[in-house]
Amino acid sequence: MRRNLSLFALVSVAFLFFADAQPALAYIGPGAGFAFLTSFMTLFASFFMAFFTLFTWPVRVVVRTFKHRKAFQNAKTKRVIILGLDGLEPTIAERLLREGKLPNLQDLKEQGSYSHLQTSYPAISPVAWSAFATGVNAGGHNIFDFLSRHKQTYMPELSSSKVGTPKRKVSFGKYEIPLGKPIVKFLRRSKSFWTILGENGIFSHVLRVPITFPPEKFNGAMLSAMCAPDLWGTQGTFSLFTTDGSVDPIKEGGDTSIVTRDFNRVEGFIKGPENSLTKSKEQLLLPFVANIINDEEAELVIDKQKIVLKRNTHSEWIELKFKAGLGIKVQGIARFYLLATNPHFRLYMTPINIDPEKPALPISFPDFYSIYLAKLHGKFATLGLAEDTWSLNEGVLSEDAFLEQAYLIHDEREKQFFHALDKTKRGLCAVVIDATDRIQHMFFRTLEDDHPANQGKETDRYKNVIEEMYIKMDGLVGKTMAKINEDDIFIVMSDHGFKSFRRGINLNVWLKENGYLVLKEGIEKSGEFFQGVDWSKTRAYAFGLAGIYLNVKGREKCGVVAPGEDYDQLKAELINKLSGLIDPLTGEIAINEMYDNRKIYNGPYTNDGPDLISGYNIGYRISWKGATGVVDDVIFDDNTKAWSGDHCIDPKIVPGVIFCNQKIKAVKPGLLDLAPTVLSLFGVKKPGYMRGNNIFESSDIDVMADGSSPKVVEKVVHDPVEGAAVGN
Amino acid sequence: MLGPKIKLEKDLYDRVKKFAEVAGYSSVEEFIAHVLEKELGSVDATDSEEEIKKRLQGLGYLS
Repeated sequence: MRRNLSLFALVSVAFLFFADAQPALAYIGPGAGFAFLTSFMTLFASFFMAFFTLFTWPVRVVVRTFKHRKAFQNAKTKRVIILGLDGLEPTIAERLLREGKLPNLQDLKEQGSYSHLQTSYPAISPVAWSAFATGVNAGGHNIFDFLSRHKQTYMPELSSSKVGTPKRKVSFGKYEIPLGKPIVKFLRRSKSFWTILGENGIFSHVLRVPITFPPEKFNGAMLSAMCAPDLWGTQGTFSLFTTDGSVDPIKEGGDTSIVTRDFNRVEGFIKGPENSLTKSKEQLLLPFVANIINDEEAELVIDKQKIVLKRNTHSEWIELKFKAGLGIKVQGIARFYLLATNPHFRLYMTPINIDPEKPALPISFPDFYSIYLAKLHGKFATLGLAEDTWSLNEGVLSEDAFLEQAYLIHDEREKQFFHALDKTKRGLCAVVIDATDRIQHMFFRTLEDDHPANQGKETDRYKNVIEEMYIKMDGLVGKTMAKINEDDIFIVMSDHGFKSFRRGINLNVWLKENGYLVLKEGIEKSGEFFQGVDWSKTRAYAFGLAGIYLNVKGREKCGVVAPGEDYDQLKAELINKLSGLIDPLTGEIAINEMYDNRKIYNGPYTNDGPDLISGYNIGYRISWKGATGVVDDVIFDDNTKAWSGDHCIDPKIVPGVIFCNQKIKAVKPGLLDLAPTVLSLFGVKKPGYMRGNNIFESSDIDVMADGSSPKVVEKVVHDPVEGAAVGN
Repeated sequence: MLGPKIKLEKDLYDRVKKFAEVAGYSSVEEFIAHVLEKELGSVDATDSEEEIKKRLQGLGYLS
């Protein structure tokens, strides 16, 4: 019965797929189902959705056609394709172009243009892609970092989304059943340009653009990206199962489980999410058995699934069904990598991704889009930061294993992109590739023989990894160019560049030693998240990857700095002391400049973000301890982690790239210009709050949105703030 | 996720709309939501330190 129903649903999908219907209607399929419906109810809801969509399709086509009859009326093009290669670094790209190793990007450059693309303040992906999406800087979209600070507790929160349980619950026995779906809130403000396009009848495919979790509802199809969680609710926690009880537990980003072995039979439990149906909220467990076949193979048995794992090979995606009780299951997927069978059994498991076929949280729009893609191409990574960098940092996965994983995820993305491109007869198709960013983070050390992270690690073998990755991406560009038409606008871009991360700076220690941050009496070192900090005496604190906040009266709970003159004076003092800060070990400038938030941001959320943004020099970044609010006694230290390249530095020295098949006229195009450009290409009026300009029409003189005179604009236009001129 | 609707007098709405545009909001709704959030302050309960650490675990940029 279940198989017949599934077949019917699939036929429905296939019908609309091959009928080449309007894109939005092509994604009919089994409904997403709800997190805690029973299997039967999920199936019922799915088929009701399928029937409803199928039979109302003609009516909806007519309504849609009438409603959007003026769409494309003023469009200069039918199709815009944006291929985002996160973190593509101009100096590396330019060297490889000179060497003739990137023929497709060279071709694109010759057809149209190549330029640096000014990045965001700070140059961090969530900030940058939010600027790309909305056409405003962080003062307008409210994403200043991965983290924001809670003004009452000073504790960190994810800046882009909030997931919580429904407030209403019903209790009986050991159960506490939530009434309703989890509360999933999107915290990026302003409005994405694809939403505006949709309001004007123009359909968009938006795949894995960072800061799209939870997905927006708009006239289009979207796959969520950074910071979609794993099934545990974390940003990606891997598991290591081992029989070796003497092994040190994993410090960061992973969980060690000691498993038992009886001859060649290993038994253990896969840890799942917390059971939100019970009062005790115990972690759900799924038993597994691994039957060791020989040194190179083991058979993994989970439920009724039997998978033969080969050593040093990533498995396919395996379904993991956790029983929560009352007939309810939560399902995720994971890949396994057999590390060793003897003398000790060691098995790596990826973070448990939300299953795209049975999403426990919304990860696509429409809800069934992820299901549709999974049915078409197979299961795929849904975790926001899917490439497991911590497993490499912790030495669990080797460099080869990490690279293999990154490219498996990349191959999934490529298939999804080309499918969406094929479905986009007109409108926008935008995709962001993450492999470029993650691989550079983890292999940048191989570009510098004396990088501190090279100690104890193989380097020569991986020297060409980054170059090979750029060449592979050039291949992707080539494949895309083969699929586009003469009239299409094709943009290849990156949100920021990449530089070496050799030395970390713990700015909180500097602030402590200079009297701006105070620890409680008797405490010499604080733990994570500012434990031990005396907020009643602290005037400034560094938070996240690039921000310094002043502890302001009336803003922070224990604020001590009076707004007005005191605030301005303290800010000026910190800018003066920190700009040009020298690393005593190397004698180099560690911080180029400290940026005043009021000079780099405009918009209603300017005062919600950091008061100062740190412009670290090349080679420097906030230290690992500094980023998590640890206040000890070390200001500068070597970065010895595999994560050896970064971009959370002075935005002026880490721009991204933009290649296009049309001539770019803007002198210094920036992230803020992309939204107005795409709107203009489709003949949609740019909203008044967007600060950027159409890069195909702009010239040296950019008129500010508030009408400031060109003279004033010329004075500031050479401060490249995300490509748009900034005023006071 | 949207909930109850609120009515405003037309005059007030027009003033709000004009202000929202000038202040850099993408919509009247965004402006009103922000103003109300600021007025209410952060009164919602926060998670425990353990829950916070767990939520951020695995973020590659942080240890």
